[in-house]
Amino acid sequence: MVRDVRRHRATGPGVTPLDALLKKRVVLITGKGGVGRSSVTAAAATVAQRRGVRVLVCEIGDDPADYSPLARHFGRERLPLAPQIITPGIQGALLLARSGQELFLKSVLRSGTLARAALSSDALRRLLSAGPSFKEMGVFFQLLTYLRARRDDGQLAYQLILIDMPATGHTLSLTGLPELLLRLVPRGPIAAALREGQSYLNDPALASAYVVAIAETLPVSECLELLDGLKKTAMPTGGVLMNRVPVDPFSASERAALEEVIARVNPLGGEGFLKPVLARREIARLRANTELPITLIPELPHAGLMGSIADALIKGEKVPMPQAQGRVA
Amino acid sequence: MNSPDTIRIGDLIRTRKVIVCCGAGGVGKTTTAAALSLAAARAGRRVLVLTIDPSKRLAETLGVSRNPPTPVAVPADRQAAAGISAPASLDAWMLDPKLVADESVRRLTKTPEDAQRVLGNRIYQQVSAMVAGMHEYTAMEALHRLVIEGRYDLVVLDTPPSRHALDFLEAPKRLAGLVEGRAIQAFLPKRDSLVARAASKVIEKILSAVFGEEFAQELVSFMMTFSGIFSALNVDVNTMRNFLSGPDVAFLLVTSPAPSTLAEAHFFQDKTKELGLPFKGFVLNRSRARNTSKRWPDGESLDQVPPEGLSGIAKLQALAHTELEAARRDLTLLTELQQRAGSNATAMAVPELPQGADDMVTLITVADALAAA
Repeated sequence: MVRDVRRHRATGPGVTPLDALLKKRVVLITGKGGVGRSSVTAAAATVAQRRGVRVLVCEIGDDPADYSPLARHFGRERLPLAPQIITPGIQGALLLARSGQELFLKSVLRSGTLARAALSSDALRRLLSAGPSFKEMGVFFQLLTYLRARRDDGQLAYQLILIDMPATGHTLSLTGLPELLLRLVPRGPIAAALREGQSYLNDPALASAYVVAIAETLPVSECLELLDGLKKTAMPTGGVLMNRVPVDPFSASERAALEEVIARVNPLGGEGFLKPVLARREIARLRANTELPITLIPELPHAGLMGSIADALIKGEKVPMPQAQGRVA
Repeated sequence: MNSPDTIRIGDLIRTRKVIVCCGAGGVGKTTTAAALSLAAARAGRRVLVLTIDPSKRLAETLGVSRNPPTPVAVPADRQAAAGISAPASLDAWMLDPKLVADESVRRLTKTPEDAQRVLGNRIYQQVSAMVAGMHEYTAMEALHRLVIEGRYDLVVLDTPPSRHALDFLEAPKRLAGLVEGRAIQAFLPKRDSLVARAASKVIEKILSAVFGEEFAQELVSFMMTFSGIFSALNVDVNTMRNFLSGPDVAFLLVTSPAPSTLAEAHFFQDKTKELGLPFKGFVLNRSRARNTSKRWPDGESLDQVPPEGLSGIAKLQALAHTELEAARRDLTLLTELQQRAGSNATAMAVPELPQGADDMVTLITVADALAAA
């Protein structure tokens, strides 16, 4: 599953996990809440744009009026309902369950009257908003239409679709959707759409999930659980993007000399002194428990955050973490 | 009761019957819920903390298994170590949504045979835990039942993780929308009017075009079996909404100093007002505000630094500068939250905890801070 890179001849010296990411059609950026998923998604989109990749950034929305951290990175309140340029070279769109369901109904019910009847049925709308897996199905179908979309000249409308995924459980209910539903509905138009979706999502050459984490105890544990869950739903994984890794300014001899007095006095700066040590321990634990590449993104001041994350992603293995035990793969 | 201008978390812990902790994922909501319940039990109450999908560590700290079918007592030695003595008690229940859904089916069906028909249904088995709002619904349902039973003085609810703090309240409403008689009836075979029969014919056509004939029929029969249960659910959702709007309940928004905090706080407050729910305060986790009282690192405060360490002091000062700035930002943020809370609610800060801070000693520290606030 992890061998995807090879098919694209992307392995070898100087190839970063980012190069692999940029070759996919669809990339899910996932991870526990509060680890900076949307910053990383926005940064990856910026990199794609700089490399000339036609990129579409998405997030899954329930309500178009919802607060969107991803849109904030592009100076907007929210993402548009249909793909639109949100910043030069980057398009954005909400993956809205309702519009996916409508598209699906229209494509299945060839009779216009029937489709209109279906869409204006209050009962059907209620069923679709709460029924089992229907929400995920709508999102799934909307994504599929973006994957298929072509321009007038026949080229793909979006070479890369980057999705800022919701928290762990919701991510797994989306990646696990095709298998679950195909057991129930093995034939018919839903099955066909699910299989087509699988042909993208379960192909490591075309799709990949990246888990964003931070180098602390609980986030690393949850990251490992999530990697496990993704594997169970047959979703290919591209690696861990370790966000906000504290940069260690101290030399080993400075550390040795200051350790005791800092523990005793607990001065300002003491927390920052300890953080890199804890981070190295957690990165080593992650390293010991997964073979996936781990990309370290150094902790940055908030201003200009996204550009700096983009730089760190581009540099890949050159992330300034001189004493890190976690090798940047 | 207190006058409105003196809302204190410490009082809520001692007087309310239900405290609902809302918040986006990753803000320390589960830890806060555990600390609140610990604080209440230490203050002499019989307490239950109800949570969905908690971190393993928290279950370990409290010494309870994950996903038991009913609430379990935190082991006596841990309760004693945490300073909880009879008649006070601390129970925990880490809910498994599937188990609770099964339980609801058994309770809401008229006969064991009816229950078995639903539980054995293929569609139910595959998707019962995936019905939108089911997690949220099961949590609310369990909460309501436990409060009615009166075994506990206080139930603290840790709402399921979601991107938006209020998903928890919206999801059951969607479920209620589905089960509202009129909606579900449209899918069922009609005997009454000609118009209704024609309408349901159209829907039948749509369903078989979408799902295929075979599955569409299965789906309809699933819904028929479920419709009785659905209407019972509907009553419950409304009862629960009324109950949650009552004077025995307090809603807290747990949040962190992330840049989106204020926007989220604002949204949450408006939404609770709109839904008529008793919003009582913000808990700002991971606040670094107390760092302002720490000593500045220099030759004077750091005595006996060996010569090899001297070059490190300037680096430490750079870190100290950053920490001080963060501390000041968090202080300002807390003030803003307090202003936003107004006179009917409060805002308090909980300091950043050491890594993986779910051990009992840390929880007690947080519990005491909450009780004193």
